[in-house]
Parts: sequence; C-alpha cells; structure tokens
Amino acid sequence: MNNVREFSWSVFFTWMILAVIGLIAIYSATQGPVSQFLAEYIQDNFIKQVVWVIISLFVLISIQFISPRAFIQLSYLAYGVGIILMILTLMFGTEINGAKSWLRIGPANLQPSELMKIATILAAANYLTSRRDISADNVRYALIAVTIILIPASLVLMQNDLGTALIFLSLIPVMLFWSGLPYGVSLFIISPAVIAYLAVIEWYYGLVAAILLTALIFFIQRRVWLTVTSFVTGFLTVSGVQVAMNQLLQPHQIARIAAFTNPNYDPTGAGWNVLQAKTAIGSGGLTGKGFLEGTQTQLKFLPEQWTDFIFCVIGEEFGFIGSTIVILTFTFLFVRLLNMAGNHKHPFAQLVTVSFTSVYFIHFFINVGSASALLPVIGLPLPFISYGGSAFLTNTIMLAICLNMDFHKREFSIYR
Amino acid sequence: MSISQSNRTRTSIRALQVIMIGMMLVVFGRVFYLQIIEYDVYAALGQENSVRQEYVDAARGLIYDRDGRLIVDNEPIYSITITPSLFDKDKLPLLADILNVSDSLLTARVQEAQRYSWYRTSRLITEIDFERFSAIQENLWQLPGIGHQIESKRHYPTDINGSHLFGYLREASEAEYQNSDRLKLGDKVGKSGLEMIYEDTLRGDDGVKYLRVNALGQAISNFEDTTLSQPPVQGTDIFTTIDTELQVLAEELMEGKKGALVAMDPKTGGVLAMVSAPDYDLQKLAGRLDSDYWQAINADTLTPLYNRAISGRQPPGSTFKPIMGLIGLHLGFIDSTTTVYNSGAYMRGRPYRDTAPIGDYNLENAIANSSNTFFFSLMDQIATNGYLNEWSSLVKDLGVGVTNPIDLPYASNGIVPDSTYLNRVFGENQWGVGDVMSMGIGQGLLSLSPLQVAQMTSVIANGGYRVQPHIVKATRMPSGKVIEKDPQLHKVEWITDENLGVVRAGMRKVVSEGPSRYYTNNPEVPTAGKTGTAQNPHGRDHGWFTSFAPYDDPQIVVSVLIENGGYGSISAAPVAAVLIEKYIEGEISRNYVYNYVLNFESRPTDSELIDNE
Repeated sequence: MNNVREFSWSVFFTWMILAVIGLIAIYSATQGPVSQFLAEYIQDNFIKQVVWVIISLFVLISIQFISPRAFIQLSYLAYGVGIILMILTLMFGTEINGAKSWLRIGPANLQPSELMKIATILAAANYLTSRRDISADNVRYALIAVTIILIPASLVLMQNDLGTALIFLSLIPVMLFWSGLPYGVSLFIISPAVIAYLAVIEWYYGLVAAILLTALIFFIQRRVWLTVTSFVTGFLTVSGVQVAMNQLLQPHQIARIAAFTNPNYDPTGAGWNVLQAKTAIGSGGLTGKGFLEGTQTQLKFLPEQWTDFIFCVIGEEFGFIGSTIVILTFTFLFVRLLNMAGNHKHPFAQLVTVSFTSVYFIHFFINVGSASALLPVIGLPLPFISYGGSAFLTNTIMLAICLNMDFHKREFSIYR
Repeated sequence: MSISQSNRTRTSIRALQVIMIGMMLVVFGRVFYLQIIEYDVYAALGQENSVRQEYVDAARGLIYDRDGRLIVDNEPIYSITITPSLFDKDKLPLLADILNVSDSLLTARVQEAQRYSWYRTSRLITEIDFERFSAIQENLWQLPGIGHQIESKRHYPTDINGSHLFGYLREASEAEYQNSDRLKLGDKVGKSGLEMIYEDTLRGDDGVKYLRVNALGQAISNFEDTTLSQPPVQGTDIFTTIDTELQVLAEELMEGKKGALVAMDPKTGGVLAMVSAPDYDLQKLAGRLDSDYWQAINADTLTPLYNRAISGRQPPGSTFKPIMGLIGLHLGFIDSTTTVYNSGAYMRGRPYRDTAPIGDYNLENAIANSSNTFFFSLMDQIATNGYLNEWSSLVKDLGVGVTNPIDLPYASNGIVPDSTYLNRVFGENQWGVGDVMSMGIGQGLLSLSPLQVAQMTSVIANGGYRVQPHIVKATRMPSGKVIEKDPQLHKVEWITDENLGVVRAGMRKVVSEGPSRYYTNNPEVPTAGKTGTAQNPHGRDHGWFTSFAPYDDPQIVVSVLIENGGYGSISAAPVAAVLIEKYIEGEISRNYVYNYVLNFESRPTDSELIDNE
C-alpha cells in the first residue's frame, strides 16, 4: 500500500465540497417550505441522494484498494456487460421524463448508460493505447475506436436520451486527439459543432466561423485536401442548419431553437424554461436570496430544478458568490485532474483521466450553459451536484479511478 | 515514451487547460452578466413571477325604498376562471365532466379565453351552482390553470321589477375602463337607471391583495408585505323615495300597455313610483348575459329599454290647460269670472274644433269640461299681445322645458317653445298664430315627458312650489354616515293662492263630474286632476291623466300616459285612480276600477272616427 500522503486529498475534498453543495441545493429544491405541492417521490429525492452519497463514498474508498491494472484487464469485459445491460434497458427499461434509460434492480433505479460511459472510455482507451499512435494518414485505428464509442452512443440515442448521447459523441474528438490525431484534424472534427451552433443564431455567424476555422486548419496542418474538406463541411453545415430550420424541423423544435436565440419568444411556451432559468439566476444578484428563500426555486417555476436546472437554485439562493464558488471549485477540479493526467507516464492512465475530465467538463458546460441560456436547453445533470443516484455513483467511480491511477502511478509505470 | 510524445502530452495538457479555463471564463462572464449587470431586470421579473396581485371585489352599495326596505342587494355567484397558459388541455374532458357541460362548448370557451389573453385569468363559466363549484374546488389540484372565484350579482328581493328605475349592469367597455382608475377589465358598471347615475357612489373601491403563487398558479400564502394590500371599501348605500307597494302595483297596472307613469310626492318632488311600459326583466340581465334575451329586447319595436317616463317627449294635451289658466290669470288676460262662448269651434281664419258642450265657459268650467275655445282664445291674446316669450318663461318657471334633471340618465328637458325656437323650427317668422294657439291646449310643438307633467301638477298641488324631482333622498357611507339630500322647493313667485284655487276647483270638477268620474270620483279620497287626449299623427291618440290627492292636502301626484290609449279619461285616468286609492287608503276597495285597468283595451276617439270617415 502506498503512503496515504500521496493520495490526492485536494481532489477528494473537492468531491466532498461538490457533494455537499449538491445536497444543499437538492434540499432546497425538494424540501422547501411549500414542497407539499411536489409529487411525493420527488420529495424523497433528498434522502435518496444522501444514501447515494454515502454509498458512493464507500465505493470511492474501496476502489483505492484495487490495482490500476484491473481497469485495463476488465475494460472489454465491462464494455460487453454494459452493452448487454443497455440492450436490456431498451427492452425492459422504465421510462422517466421521456427517456427509457432506467433499469429497475431491487429498490433502485439504475441508469446503465451512466455506467456505460466508464466502460466505453476504458475500452476505447485500452484499444487506442495498445496500438501505435494514430497519424493523419492511418485512420483505421481511429475508425475502430470511433465504432467502440458509436455503438453505446446509438443505444443511448435509441433510449431517447439526447444529452448522454452527446457526451458519448464528444468523446470521439477528445480521445482521438489524445491518441495522436493531428491538431488540425481534431479541430476539423469539432468544427461542425461550433459552426452549427453559430449558424443557429445567425447563418452568417456560421459562415464566418467556417472560414476562420478553415484558415486555422490550413495554418496548422497545411494540407490542401483537409482545408478544402473543412471548408466544404463548414459550408454544408451552415446550409444544413438553414434547411433544417426552414424545412425539416417540426414547429415545436423550431420554437425551442427560436426560444434559445430569442428568449422572450413565447415566454410561457418554449421559452418558459429559458426565461425562468435566467430569472432565477439573475434575480439572485450578488449574495442571493438566501437558503430556502429563492422565490423561483421554492415556487417551482422551473421544471427539473433538482437535476437539469440545479444551477439556478444555487444562483438564486446563493447569488453570484455561490455561483462563483461552484465555478471555481469545478475549475480547480478540471485543472487538477488534467495535471494528474500530465504526470502519468502510462498513456492509458493519461487518456482515461483526460476523457473523464472531459466528460465532467462537458456536463458542466452544457448544464450551466443551458441554465444561463448560453446554450439551448439540453438535459444534462451537473456532476456531483444534480440529483441522480446513477449519475452520482458513475461520476464518483470515474473520479475514484482517476484517484486510484494517481495514487498507484509508480506501480502502474513499473507494470508497463 | 519518446521525447516528442512527452512534449505533445505537455502541450496537449496545457491546450486543454487553456480551452477549459477559457470556457469556464465564458460561463463565469455569463453568470456575472446575469447576476450583477442584469440584476435589476431579473429581480423585477422574479417579483412579478411569484407575487400575484388579486383584486378583492367591493360589495356594491345597496338600494332601499322610502321606508328603509331593501329593494336591491347582492347575491353571490360562483365562477370558474382559467389562465390559458397554465391550462393542461388533456384535462379538458375531466373539467367538462365536473362542470357537466359538453367538451365542445368548453373547448370553445377555452379558446375564447385564449384569444383574450394567454396569461391573464379570465372567467370560463360564470354562475355555476354551489355543488359544481365545490366539485371544482376539490379537484383543483389536478386542474392546473383553473381557478374559482366568488363574485356577486344584483338581486332584487321585492316584487319590484324596476327595470327603468334601477337599470342594468354590463361589463365596462374598453374605453370606460381605460379612462377610469377604478375600473378594470370585466368589471360591471351601471348602464342605465340609478345604477348608472349613482355608479360612482354605489361602486366601492376594490381591494388588492398579494398572493405568493407557484408556477401552477396555486396560491401558497398571502404575501408578507401587508402594507401593499388594501381592503376593499364597500359601495355607498342609497335610500330612495320609492314606495315599494305602489311601485309593484304601478308595474302591474301598466303591464301590457305602452306608456309611462310617474307618482310623486308633491311636497318634496320625490318619486314614489315610476314605470315605463313595456319594460324588461331586470333579473335576466343581472348575471351571466342571456344574449338571446338581450338581442330580443334591443330589437323589440316597442323599445322596452327606452324610459318613456323621463325620456319621452309628448304633447301634454289638455293636462296643460290648468297651467294655461294660471298664466292667463297672472298676465291679466282673464280673471276667474271671464267667460268665453264655445260654439263648437274657435274661429281664427279657420275653425279650431272644440268637442266640449256648446255654451259659456269661465276658467273653472273650461278646465272641468276641457273646452278648447277658452284656451285658444287665451293663447290667441297672449300671442297677439306679444307675450309668447313671457308665456314660455312662465311655463319654464315650473321646472319644465329647462334642465331640471331627475337623478336618472337620459332625462328629456321637454320643449316649451318661444319665438326663437319657433323661428328655428319653421324659419324666421314663417310660423303663424295657429302654431302658437295649438300650444294653448297642449298640442303643437309643446312637448313634455310624463315626469314633467307630474312636476307641473305638483306645483298646482303643493301651493305653487317648484319641485326638484328625485329618486334618491339620502346616501349612507360605508362608515355609517348618512347624508340627506335636501328636497329643493322654490316658490314660484307669480303663482298666487287665489289663482290656484280657481284652477284646482276646475280640476276637482274634472274628477267628480267629467267623463272619467266613473273611475276617478272616489268619495273616500277627494281627488283633482286633468285628462288629456293628445293627437298623434302616427296612430291612435295618446291618453293622458294627471292628478293629485287628497284635494285639501295633496300627498301624491300621479301622471299617466297611455300611448295610443285613446281618451285619457278612460285609459289613463283609471290607472291613476287605482294608484291614488292604494297610496292614500292603503288598499284597493274599488275592485271594478282595478279589474278594468288590468283588462283595458283602447278604443278610438271621436276625432279619429271623424278623420277616418
């Protein structure tokens, strides 16, 4: 056993701080003075989350006693089991909020897609790091790795959980980039997302972004075919968005997008969540309205405020100071985890740590971005803070794996 | 691990950290923007969201009769409201089931509410019974966007219909509520009668209370800041001069007739009863609007919404003759002994017909037998001696033909022509002595409302005092303070008791000896009056009767107009006789008159028969 002083206590305490912030926010969102208007199962959320935090704490500690080699050895097996669980969920799962993502096991509702994130990352990382570096000319490995990610991604999409599917998809550029995909090509892979985002707001924003990104890709990579492809892709993305918005999408989908770009559009319909979320955060001011004092929160102006809109609870009741504490805590976590990754000698540990960090980051960015109307509303929980046992456990396991690999890093490098 | 790989790792870690910190800064900036820069905007929005302002309707003032009996009060009605933005359409069948209305009707109502406003609460169904109201209350938790409220509507506890007296309430028009800081959309305001004139008095001040609501619009508690809320101030009560029993009887007597009736206390000018027939059913306009009924009374050619008692303008006919006598005596063209011979017609370029028996008439007998010749002759002298304008102003001294408004809307001033008026109507000096002479017998351009005929008669009855007709004698503030309205009586200086005596004697003879005596000559209640039959170019003559009783100490004046009733002596006079008996004696003993009035059918007058031949 290693010296416990080598354990990354700072990350562990960060985990605890976030868990406590989450419990406070969930308490406020579900146990407030007028919570009798909420459904009973929602009123139970706080106590359920407490139980999950305690379970997760034991899991986190337990994982520290495992050899990091186990993660490599078990990665494919976990991946296979995960896929089977996903298929079972599709067949026998429970539907909550329109997504058929839950599998009932005993007293608990398990969300296999959450745990699948871990298995997928471990499997893809194992595959990628057991091969040579991917170059711009040899994309066979890359394609196999992409397939490893796309299979669970499509299963999640079939469960009608768009947010989680996005997480899987976002792993592709991150993991390929880390495995040696040239910067220019990596940029090319993420460029359509950036262009599409801007094109939704105004088509010419998208076009400008396409041109700038293409120029950047040319500058980094200096490959004519990549540059041309990049520009064509960018142009197609902008036109695709236009066609989709004007021809393909249903009115309610367009309304949702319109509500994002113009939040005052239909304030009681599609724009409701956006406007209420902004109102909750904005009316918090510098110091917030105080614990259990947030009118938006306590009067339930926001749906799902214990999960997707939990940042609004913090923003409203604890104000700018509370929001800043959350943002800084997360920033510290991300920077610290990436430093951890940089210190690893073993590429598997590097890739896994970076991927996990990316998952946290994307969750954070999309969740807070949605809540503050920076992004269209995409239902993703805020790691460690939002209510959700499976998600909390999954996030804790991911963190525990990072801590484990860091804790055992010398053992790990010897093994290699 | 190669050097280049290690470099790439370091660079990539830095790159990722920079990207992440950069994006964290974007999030941070966004939060800073919302919470610090835009704080004022969202703080206000947050307030609006969670605190809902609710109005507490003030109880409308009550209306009492002259004895303090309640004649108009309020009764609660239960309404279901909807806030369309919060309403869940899937709940429509459930709601329809509870309300026991069809899905299609409810859908239409919901759509109507949506068209009005998506966010604001509007009434979905009003006047539901208490049972359904309770059922809704029980199921409110599963009906988001549905609310309930208790409102009130006017209720009329006595048998008085009083449609023209009390008037009806309707929702305020957009112009009305936008020009008033007391009205809000959907508020009902008085649109006619006392409800209209005393709108500002009867309407209290709505209270305001603040409720904390959740996103479903469910009220959670009262808002702590009670300094903002205001309790409602109930409306001021009004005490009228109406005699309930007399009014009920008057309405009964005028049932099925066309015309108007005014009973007045000559000592105060207070209206004891007032009817315009046909009238409409006020109860039907009290709550939820019955649009079929509303359209029917609007389209009715007999114009039941029109108040003939005060808005009508008709030649008063012979009921004007006593006033002519007073003016003649005052101006000195006649005295009580002056006689004029009636040969069947008064000759002035052409014969002016007189149906009174041939013979000599002094003023008293000319009134008693309604001899036209006497008054043609008198008016002829007034006109030819240049006293037309003097005549007009003397008539106006009685309060008729000028603004002397009763406290009801749309009261007519009447017309008492002078030379200026005749010039305007006929053209400069295009009118002749005939146009003036006909006014001497209450015809021609002279026109008054039944109320004004009653006013005129009151002056004769009360010894020469001009009355201010009114219906409300006092108001009672919510604090309990009662404000009496002084009846304004002004002595008409030119009327002397001596002259009055002559005219009154003539009027007494009308009742006891004239053609109406069978109905009007009640030995128990000595009455004086004057019949009138006003020629009507559009159809059968209008019958008039104006009267006061008891003769020695008049306590009531009754003026009746029966449109197209034929002779006043047989159409209008019996109505007045029954009312006078009821008012003075307290009960009707002469049932044959009462039954006659109820079954009255008009007959043509002689002049009509002649014209038709």
